[in-house]
Amino acid sequence: MSLLSAGRATILGLLLLVAAPIGARAQQAPAELSRAREEYARWLATAPTSPYAAQALLPVGTGISLGAGDADVVLPGIARSTISEKNGALALERGETRTPLVRGRLASLGGPYRVLATGLPGRTTVTVFGAPREAKPPTYFPYAADAALKVTLTPPAAPRLVPLLGPDGTELRAAEAGTVSASWRGQPFKLTVRRLPGATEDESELQVFFRDRTSARGSYDGGRFVELLPQPDGTYLLDFNRARSPFCAYSSVFPCPAPWPGNTLDAEVAAGEKYERKLPTAPGT
Amino acid sequence: MIATLLLAATTALAGPWRGALDLAGGTLKFGIELEGAGASLRGRLCNGNVCDAFSAVTVRGDSVLLELADYAASIAAIRRGDSLVGMYRNVGSKGPRSIPFRAAPGRWPRAEAPAWLAGQWDAQFEGGFGTSPRVLVFDKGPGGLQGTVIGNTGDYSHFAGEVVRDSVALYRFDGSFVYMLTARLVGDTLRGTFHAGLRAQTPFTAIRSTGKPHLTPPTEVTKADSAPFTFAFPDLDGRMVRSDDPRFRGKVLLVDIFGTWCPTCHEAAPVLTELYRTRKTRGLEMVGLAYEVSGDPAVDGALVRRYRDKFGIPFPLLLAGVSDVDAAAATLPQLQGFTAFPTTLFIGRDGRVRKVHAGFYGPATGAQHTALVQEFRRTLDALLAEPAP
Repeated sequence: MSLLSAGRATILGLLLLVAAPIGARAQQAPAELSRAREEYARWLATAPTSPYAAQALLPVGTGISLGAGDADVVLPGIARSTISEKNGALALERGETRTPLVRGRLASLGGPYRVLATGLPGRTTVTVFGAPREAKPPTYFPYAADAALKVTLTPPAAPRLVPLLGPDGTELRAAEAGTVSASWRGQPFKLTVRRLPGATEDESELQVFFRDRTSARGSYDGGRFVELLPQPDGTYLLDFNRARSPFCAYSSVFPCPAPWPGNTLDAEVAAGEKYERKLPTAPGT
Repeated sequence: MIATLLLAATTALAGPWRGALDLAGGTLKFGIELEGAGASLRGRLCNGNVCDAFSAVTVRGDSVLLELADYAASIAAIRRGDSLVGMYRNVGSKGPRSIPFRAAPGRWPRAEAPAWLAGQWDAQFEGGFGTSPRVLVFDKGPGGLQGTVIGNTGDYSHFAGEVVRDSVALYRFDGSFVYMLTARLVGDTLRGTFHAGLRAQTPFTAIRSTGKPHLTPPTEVTKADSAPFTFAFPDLDGRMVRSDDPRFRGKVLLVDIFGTWCPTCHEAAPVLTELYRTRKTRGLEMVGLAYEVSGDPAVDGALVRRYRDKFGIPFPLLLAGVSDVDAAAATLPQLQGFTAFPTTLFIGRDGRVRKVHAGFYGPATGAQHTALVQEFRRTLDALLAEPAP
């Protein structure tokens, strides 16, 4: 087995597992999706980076202070520390101690508090997490086998970078990745796909932020994110059962991403995550 | 009897293991060193000879849990024959992350850095848009071939790797970062892929460094437009409201960019209303710019009216546009990098934007909410204390 091909058999198995819902007719969620949902609920309830554990999200700008008293981010009982950025490099200072703060890596602030730096050099965002508050497990529309669509990605005519907010409310520059066209219960649609950098800029994902007729009528008002999963044959899986609300649906620590232009389906995509509406009802509903 | 079995199981685990994460684009290799037995079993995660201790190693029957508390990460595996099979899990920042893991007894072979590879290479990573520079460094370390990847914001820490003929692979797995670089020498160019996490793959090419600087300074912070802030949008009765209307002249102005679809905006509304009521007589004005979903004034107007009535908002709410970034950016060309709802603009008596605040911490955030409200008050009071131009 060559150096670079080791493990392909396992990968093929994984990809087949991911691809399994395509064409399935049973209305029972596939085991892999059920597991992913259970894991997500557990993550929301227990992870130190869960939106329910978030205390604050703010740009580093010219520097921010954290700790007791009148700090920018108030952390009762925690000694004062500061985060600053110089030439793209971040540092966490506590008293005489200055340590580098690595993007995408959790760092402890003492007590239950941790900090995660993400975003662009010069526009770095810091999210501060504490002990998780009570997490409400997400609820979902009934599984819809026909919501798992095999799609082809058409590259953009003119690639460009667009500033936007990711699902976790942090500012990033996403690359236009193209469009996917398919139809949902006889209704054709075309959606813009963007490559969103993760906590570290190299971990990008193909994401679609879309609205549909369930937005504000059963799903989150501003739209939902769904990831495009690569398939072994070069196509992608667009599975609306995997659609998730952005974090501002869970906590006001997170600003709300603006809906993407043109990504509104004139159809009711009753699949994926639901949202208990707290806002004024639209006229006629 | 049970204690004997447990001891036997943990004793057999002690020793070196060849660890592997099966990424979509290949296998990331790393080392695990376990020592001790029973409750005192401990271990280290290694890239070449650079190792970090697991925070805890727990064995229950056939199951092994290796934890890295600093990164809220773990490897959970079960024994299958003489191997370990399971999943690496890391909390991620947008959801849980899991990658298949396996390990077999022994160490990965030590690799040397051949002359054709050792040294510094100038790489171009091909992103979704254009390329971005990196410097690749390969050298001979005490544990064999080692290296790193350097970007504009710093390096990606220590990698260990291997070489087979004209191909090289570098690995970095520390419980948080999952990186793999694979490349092949074609002529005098290294062509390869940088793998991050389970699925991300970025192609790159690299040539030997010429000695000239390859990396560029990071982007400077975008400067806010310093011209007086202008707007003109219809109110809920269709009348145009403009920034140069007499009601705003010489006043401090707070502009609330919001949408009725945005829960965080709802949390901000009562606070803004209170700030307005307590400072209006001192010269504060406010205006809300609504970016709604439909773009149909009848539908959007009804939603915004309901929002106004729900919160008893006494200042004008204007229909500024539809709720996408491009539309918002087009209607507010003086704002650069506008992405967040809500966004609050603090405008001085001279009409210039003095502060932009993206987002809002609601009451559920406790101390952050209190601090933010105090900051809003301080900012407005400072602007109100300035003399009119």
